[in-house]
Order: sequence, then structure tokens, then C-alpha cells
Amino acid sequence: MELEGRQSLAATPEEVWSALFDRDVLEQAIPGCESLEQTSDTSFAAVVKLKIGPVSARFKGEVELSDIVVGRSCTLSGKGSGGIAGFAKGAAKVTLTPQGPETVLDYTADVAVGGKLAALGNRLIKSTAQKLTGEFFANFDRALAVEEDAPAA
Amino acid sequence: MSKDHIGQSHRRENALRHLAGRGRFTTDLSLPRMLHAAFVRSPMAKGRIVEVDVTDAAAAPGVVRVFTAQTLNHVCEPWVGTLDHFAGMQSGPQNMLADGQVLWAGHPVVMILAHSRAEAEDACELVMLDIEDEDAIVDGDAAQMENAPLASDGIDSNMCFQTVLETPDLDAAFARAAHVVEGDFTFGRHTAVTLEPRAVIADYDPSTGQLTVHHGTQTPYQFQDVYARHFGLNESKVRVIAPDIGGSFGMKLHVYHEEMATVAASLLLGRPVRFVADRLESFVSDIHARDHRVSARMAVDADGTILAMDVDDMTQIGAFSTYPRTSAAEGNQVIRLMGAPYKMPDYRGRLSVVFQNKVQTSQYRAVGHPIACAVTEALVDRAAQLLDMDPFDIRARNLLADDDYPHVSATGYQFEKLSHQASLEKLHDMMGYGALRKEQARLREQGIHRGIGIAPFVEITNPGAAFYGVGGARISAQDGAVVRLTPSGDVHCAISVTEQGQGTETIIAQVVADQLGVTPERVKVTTGDTDTTPSGGATWACRGAGIGGETALRAGRKLQAQILALAGAILQADPAKLTLANGAVVDAATGDERISLAEIGRIATYRPDTLPDGCNSSLTAAEHFAPGGYPFDFTNGIQASYVEVDIETGITRLLKHWVVEDCGRIINPLLVDEQIRGGVVQGLGPAFFEECLYDDAGQMTNASLADYLVPMAGEMPDIEIAHVETPTKDTILGAKGVGEAGTAAAGAAAMNAVNDALRPLGAQISQTPMTPLRILTALGHVSAGPKRGY
Amino acid sequence: MKTEITLIVNGEAVRDVIEPRTSLADLLRDRLRLTGTHLGCEMGSCGACLVLLDGTPVHACLVLAVQAAGQRVDTIEGLNESGDIKDLQQNFHARNALQCGFCTNGMIMTAHALLSESTAPTRPEIREALSGNYCRCTGYEAIVDAISATAKQRATNAGAGK
Repeated sequence: MELEGRQSLAATPEEVWSALFDRDVLEQAIPGCESLEQTSDTSFAAVVKLKIGPVSARFKGEVELSDIVVGRSCTLSGKGSGGIAGFAKGAAKVTLTPQGPETVLDYTADVAVGGKLAALGNRLIKSTAQKLTGEFFANFDRALAVEEDAPAA
Repeated sequence: MSKDHIGQSHRRENALRHLAGRGRFTTDLSLPRMLHAAFVRSPMAKGRIVEVDVTDAAAAPGVVRVFTAQTLNHVCEPWVGTLDHFAGMQSGPQNMLADGQVLWAGHPVVMILAHSRAEAEDACELVMLDIEDEDAIVDGDAAQMENAPLASDGIDSNMCFQTVLETPDLDAAFARAAHVVEGDFTFGRHTAVTLEPRAVIADYDPSTGQLTVHHGTQTPYQFQDVYARHFGLNESKVRVIAPDIGGSFGMKLHVYHEEMATVAASLLLGRPVRFVADRLESFVSDIHARDHRVSARMAVDADGTILAMDVDDMTQIGAFSTYPRTSAAEGNQVIRLMGAPYKMPDYRGRLSVVFQNKVQTSQYRAVGHPIACAVTEALVDRAAQLLDMDPFDIRARNLLADDDYPHVSATGYQFEKLSHQASLEKLHDMMGYGALRKEQARLREQGIHRGIGIAPFVEITNPGAAFYGVGGARISAQDGAVVRLTPSGDVHCAISVTEQGQGTETIIAQVVADQLGVTPERVKVTTGDTDTTPSGGATWACRGAGIGGETALRAGRKLQAQILALAGAILQADPAKLTLANGAVVDAATGDERISLAEIGRIATYRPDTLPDGCNSSLTAAEHFAPGGYPFDFTNGIQASYVEVDIETGITRLLKHWVVEDCGRIINPLLVDEQIRGGVVQGLGPAFFEECLYDDAGQMTNASLADYLVPMAGEMPDIEIAHVETPTKDTILGAKGVGEAGTAAAGAAAMNAVNDALRPLGAQISQTPMTPLRILTALGHVSAGPKRGY
Repeated sequence: MKTEITLIVNGEAVRDVIEPRTSLADLLRDRLRLTGTHLGCEMGSCGACLVLLDGTPVHACLVLAVQAAGQRVDTIEGLNESGDIKDLQQNFHARNALQCGFCTNGMIMTAHALLSESTAPTRPEIREALSGNYCRCTGYEAIVDAISATAKQRATNAGAGK
């Protein structure tokens, strides 16, 4: 299943870039995130609680950043296991482009799900994934604004 | 033979219980101290198990025990789904829980036992499975590529079984043919979706060593044998009870990991354990069916005579061949049933049975028949089109003549006596063929696209040991019956054929009643319990009426002779001059009552002292019967479908369906017709709706009843039925099976009807299910997607 | 954690203490042992679990038991004893409109509701009414026949002033 999208963020590419590697920002941005631990400069371990249709599960997963072109682009790959609910894995290529005072973030993701999650139909999965992605960026944008405000406060 | 009740539409007494809400299904049973099982299943189609952490699950509320491969598998001898008569066949050994490797999305890995199913499911969510994903074999063609990964350990290639049938003159037949028609066909994977899911309650009592398994299965004796052998128990200590069963259709005679694990858990815990599949897990653990790709061509003379067929079938079966019947029987029947109704002298059939990382496929109602029938009949229609012949005419030219028996088909099947030509004529009249063609032509002018399709068929029935026994499978070729006269003159029959709602108990009562001169209401029939009924094949391959009925008849006649001998002794009369009628022993010549059965029962039971010395007062007769003549028998028939295709939406409306069927002697016309109707709809489902859809990673993506489309009342047509009766001479009763006839040819007739509707538009479809999207694609209204599974 | 509920099941007052997540189907089947209500899909697709909730057919698998609190629930066992479906039962039996019997509860519930609203449903209307009832065995025609025959008998009996 492929997802793609574009999001305008009210921050410079440098600010967006650092936020992508910022544990606190990510923790606020990931929908249903219960905990997020940074395991290295470029990797995180997460516990996320999600409800997709009738299936709800806590996913334990890992997120890794690779193909890093600082300030420009990187690939986020992750896989998570939700026990009986199934698993999800995927990779998203993220590209940042400055546009005036803002940054345009483009992403293309390839996501695979398995187990009950897959059995319940790709239609549901895709719309849910899109909704979660939307939530992620809305949260991310909000967290960015907070981060920006923080030093001034 | 008395025929007072054989041939009558007796109603089913057991239906009354269901109508009152008093069914007795395995799912309804609750035993003291019973635990409930739930399984953690592999979410991946293939992978290596790195770690299974059950610590939290074991500590969860209500959980009594958690089993993994390491703690459970040792109690059960692994099973291997191969048979000797399929030469060169291979399949890896199967265990209850995945050990090291997971081989399909849905493969059980952990078993949790709790006080309730809800608690067991809650605990499943606490199991952490770490599985290292591996490339799965999803597609059968890819499986056969060089360097393709193996679908499982324990096999040396992804080829489970291959065979070729060929007549010596095949190539010459094609060389001299005026025309050759051909086609590539795809038949989707679908599944049984019995309304009652698989259900089992295993109850092991360590104090006596007795294992009782309440099991929603159609073959209790087979499971008694399987449980005894694989768990190392004496057969006498294993009792399998199959109560009411909410649909089986072949799906409930295979050995499943979960049922075996349930028995194992009960053996280890010494208390009852229940497993009932929920609908989601049914879709990823019940056997699936079909999944064929067929390339076929047919050689035809200038006058429309069929000379030969050349067929290549590839069938995709999952990671293992099923046990104990194998997953090769389906393909084997596909290549042997091709062209079966026709005189066709030459044939070549190649079969490749291929492993992949999906749920196992195996025997399901009308094993192999729908595929062979659809391919054959599609090619016959293509030949007719090429030669500008009417579909009825080309079939009249090629179908075996009704006096052309016995006959051996080009694929080696022996036909005792069939009635293709009579059936063809009867169908023509019943459907008002001429008027229908006129209506079709008139509507076509208005832009309404209707199609008519016909499909003759043969159906395998009354199987003997040639089916499985010769291959080493412990699957009974015979059935058994014990008939007794009760002390008050009623009759009891315990028989090995089983009831799933098709009316087995009713027809057995009719057959026995006629042998003993009573009404069927006075015959109590007991089925489905290995402790109280004799061992036999039970229900598979259409044996209930043909073999079960014959067994009951012979047992009834044996008891009749005993009763008459006893009556002769009591009455001081010649037993040869007595017979049974109206619940009594009567004078054979005059029909006058001499002594009632109640009186016989009373004397034999309570006053044997009044009988002459040496008189045998036994009022019980046992008989076993296995077909001895032909290795198995055949029925025949023909179906027709009338459809309307909306070329804007691709939606097909099923307007009407007709069936002419010859199942030999008809024991109960009402039940026979309802078997046919149900079978037809079970054939139309996969022709238009039903398909297990998988993504590229081997995930089934429509595994729920919200996404998997089953045929519903609104889409199904009325079905008109007529009969020709050609009793088999292999038995006294003369009955053959009828359970699979409807399913055998319904899809073939429907595909021909859709193609008849599409023909003026230059379009053709060769894939089932014939979904609206596929029909629009065939019409060129949408472009074909990059993948097969759209 | 657990909730106490009372409801009227087949005319009898029932009190039970249950987990809030308990479905009405589980309450009926597991606790009250009214096993004539069947579970086929647990997602409202197959119709095997239909019961009457204050006279209206509902999927007992989708209704929580607590939602039925204080209401009247009628199951196949109750309708059988009340005699309300006697003619339907007779016609299903005569026409052999059931095989394995697992869908029968739902078929009867749907037919009962249909015939209480529509006195002379056409065959397409009956088929439409059955659109939420899955049957794998019969092919549906016999069920349509049985319901149609019942409608006609009721119309005849009503016409005769019965």
C-alpha cells in the first residue's frame, strides 16, 4: 500500500529537520504514542496504541532514519508488532523544500500490514493510515510551534 | 422390493428441532470445568520465529495455561499429507503449533487456555511474537521459478505432485483436426464459509483414560482413528461425537492444527477444552478451495466432432498438502473429468500441484468438477461459435449416446450407464429454449444483453477403496448399519453415514421402513457417534444415499429374514410364505395380518421361554457394505443459466437456472431437489462473488464476512429441476449421490451464459469470479490492472 | 467492573451481573443457555443471531447486553413456545426450507418481522428482506417459498375472518 502527501509547515527546513530527530516532538506527534525512547542518534523504540476499525492493539516498534541528506531528505523506516492484531512495517521518504518562510514536506511511503489488520481489508487500512498521517503532521506542526515558542518564553 | 416409502418426499423430523431453536451444535455444548482456547497466529506469510514471549499472557486474568510448540507438540505424532497412489508426491510434516518457521498468515503459534474465550483473547494480545520476515511464495508460477525460495522446510522443491495422462494418438488427433480452439482460464481461491464455524470440545478423563471429542465434523470415524494413532491411544478409548453440524461441504473432514491442539491440551490438562473458530480465524485457517490456472485446447472436426483435449492445470495448495486426503485429489479430478460427458477419444492432461505460503486448499464440495466442467464447456462453446453451431447441436453430436455403455473415458474413468442425451433433450424442453433465444434476440435489439449457457456434467459418487484406501489412507471405503426391532415393535437403525441437514437420517428411515413394512416415523435413526454406531466412511464424495442407503437396505433385509424366521417359529408357518407390511408379519399371498411386530418384540424380549427350543430370538442385524463393482460410480446431468449483463456497470443479474439430473433411484424427491438447489448456489457463489484475495506479501485482505462476498437471497435465481432416473446395477437400491451435482456445473453454465451475452460485443471472460470489474475489463471499458488479483 | 442488569427474556424477568462488554448474544447463549440464537460472524453480516428487541429484529452480536437492559427480548425459543411462528415453522418444515439449521433462527426472525409489516410480499421483496441472512445450504429458494406460502395462508385466513 502506497501513501503519499505534502504538508506545509510553519517553520524553516532547519527547524523541521531538527524536530524530525527530536524525541519530544516525535512523541507528541505520533498518534497514540505511549512511550518513545531514543536508542541511538538515528533510531527510536516506540510503544503506540492504535485502534483500526474493530482491532485495537499496542504496537511495539522501532523507527530508524537513514539515507540522510542533512536538512534535505531522509528515509524513515519502521516496523511494529501488535501481537494478535498483526504487524505493520513501512518506509517513508521525506523531502523538505523551503518555500518562503515555510517548509514544504513531501513524503512517499510504502506500508505493509499483516495479520488481522490486513484481513480487515485494505480499504479500512488505507483510510486509517491516511488519517493517522494527517494527525501526525497536525501534531508535528503544533509541536513545532511550541518548540519555537519555547526559547522565547 | 417394497417401494411404499422409497421415492416419497418425506419431511425431515430433525428439522423440527432446528425450527424450535433446539439444535444441538458443538458450539452449544458446555461441559463442567471446560477451558476455552484461543490462538496467536502468525501475522506474516512466511518467517522465522526469533522469540515468543508469553510471560505477560501467562499471568493474565483467567489464563490457566499457555502452550507453545516446545510445550505442546511432543504429545502428537506429526502428520504428512501424502498418499502412495500419487507417485512422487511430497509434503512437509505438520505439527500443531508452528515450530521455528511460520508458513502462512494465520499459522497458529501460541495456544492460550482460559476460563473464557474473551480472557483467552485478551491474553493473546499480550503475547509478543518476534518473527523475522522472509520472502513468501505467493504465486504458483513464481513458486516454480528456478531459485525460488521453498514454501516450507521438509520439501525439495515447491512441486507437491505432478502427473500426466495421455492417450497414444493425442498428437495425431490435433494434427488432423479441422479446428483447434483454446483458452487460458483462472479459477479463484474461495472457501466454505459454513455458517457454524469449526468447533471442537475435547474431554479427556485421566481416571479412565477415555478421550471424548465432540467435534463438528462429517467424518467422526476418521477422526477417531486420527486421534488414536497420533496421540498414541487405543481406539476403544477414543470416542468422537458429531452432533448437529452447521454446514461442512468437505471443509470439516480435514485435520486442522487447532483441533489437534485442542485434543492435546485436554490430554495434558485432564479437563475439557473447547475451541470454536471465530469468523476472522475461519478465513485464515479453514481449508480454501480451487485456485487453478488452466491452459486448454480442443481439437474439433469440420462437422463439430470433438477429437481431443490437451489440458495443463496448475493448482496452488498452500504450504502443506492436507491430511489425510491430500491436496492433490482436487487437481487429479480436474484432469480426469475433462471432456467426461463426451465421446472424445483422445486426451492429454498435465497436472502441477504447487506449494505457496497461503492457507491450505483441499477437498470442497464437487472436488475438481467445477474446473473441469467450466474449461470443457467453455471450449465446446468456442468450437460451436467457430462452426456457427447451436450449443445444443454441438453437444447432441458429441455427448455419449444413452446406449453406449459401459464406456471408458479417454481419461480412464469407467461409466456404467448415464443418460446425457435424454438429459439434454429434457433440458431443451424444460427451459423453452427456442422461445428463450427469440427473447434474447429481441432484447438485444433494445440494447439489453442476455445470455444463455449450458453445461453437461458427470459427478463422481459411491466411492470405494479406489479413492483413498489404495493410497494407504485410513479412510473407510465401507459403511455399516445395525438395525434392530425394539421390544415394542419399533425399529432402530444406527448407521455410519452422518447428517448435516441433507436428510441422511430421513432417507435411511425410508429405506429401512420399506424393508420392515413399517412407516419411517417408526424408524429411529442414530448417526454421528463412534461409540453407538458402526464404523464407516460417513459423509464424503456423495456416499450417503448410494452406499449408506444400500447398507441400510441390506441390514434391513437381514433383520427382515430374522423376524420372518422367528414369526415362522411362533406361528408354525413357512417363513417363505410370510412377509412384512403395515407393522406386522402378514401372509405373503393374501396380505392378512398374522402377528404384529409389537407382539414379535414382546415375545422375543420378555417371553423367549415360550419359543421352540433352538429358536434364535435375536432381533438385531448388522451389515457392512462397500461398493464392489465399479471403483466408483458416476451420475450425470446438465445445467443451464440465463443471465443479463449490464454492460455499463459490469453487473450480472442471474435470471433463471435449470438443472436436469440423473442420480439413479431417487429415495426422496424433495430432499434431492434441495440438495441440487443448494449445490447450484454454492457453484454460483464462486462464479460471481467469492474469492480469497491476497496481496503481494501473502496477506489475505478480505478475511471477514463484511469483505468476502457470499451469495445472498437477493442475487440468486429460482432454480427449476427435472430428473432422469438411471439406477445403478451395482446395488440393490440403485441410488447414486446428488450432493455435488449442483456445484459441479453451475459455474460452467453461468460462464457460458455471460460469454453468450458478451459475444456480440466481441468480449470474452475466462476468469472466476466474474466480478463487475473483470467483465468491464473484458469489454475493454476499463484497462486491466498490472496484477492478476484485481 | 461488572454491571447488574435486568431484562425480560421470552416473558421472564432475568437479572444478571455481567461484564459491560458482554454482547446480548453471549448473555443469551452462555449465561441463559438460550442456544437457539446462533453466532455466525460476530459482525452483523450473517443474521444467525437475530433476536427481537422490543419487537424489532436486532443482531444480538452487535448489541451489548447492557443496551438491552430494561427491555423485552424474544428469542426463537420464546416465539416457538408462544405459537406466534407456528405457521412459519410448519411451512419451513413442509418446504424443507432448512438444511443444517444454523441460519434458521435468523431466517424465522426476518420472516416474522417481514410478515408483520407486509401482508403480501412479492418474491423479490422476500428475497430483499432476506438480504442480511446468509444460508450456505439451501440456495434460498425454499426459504422464499415457505415465507410466501405463509403470507398467502395468513391472507386467506384473514379473508375468511379468522
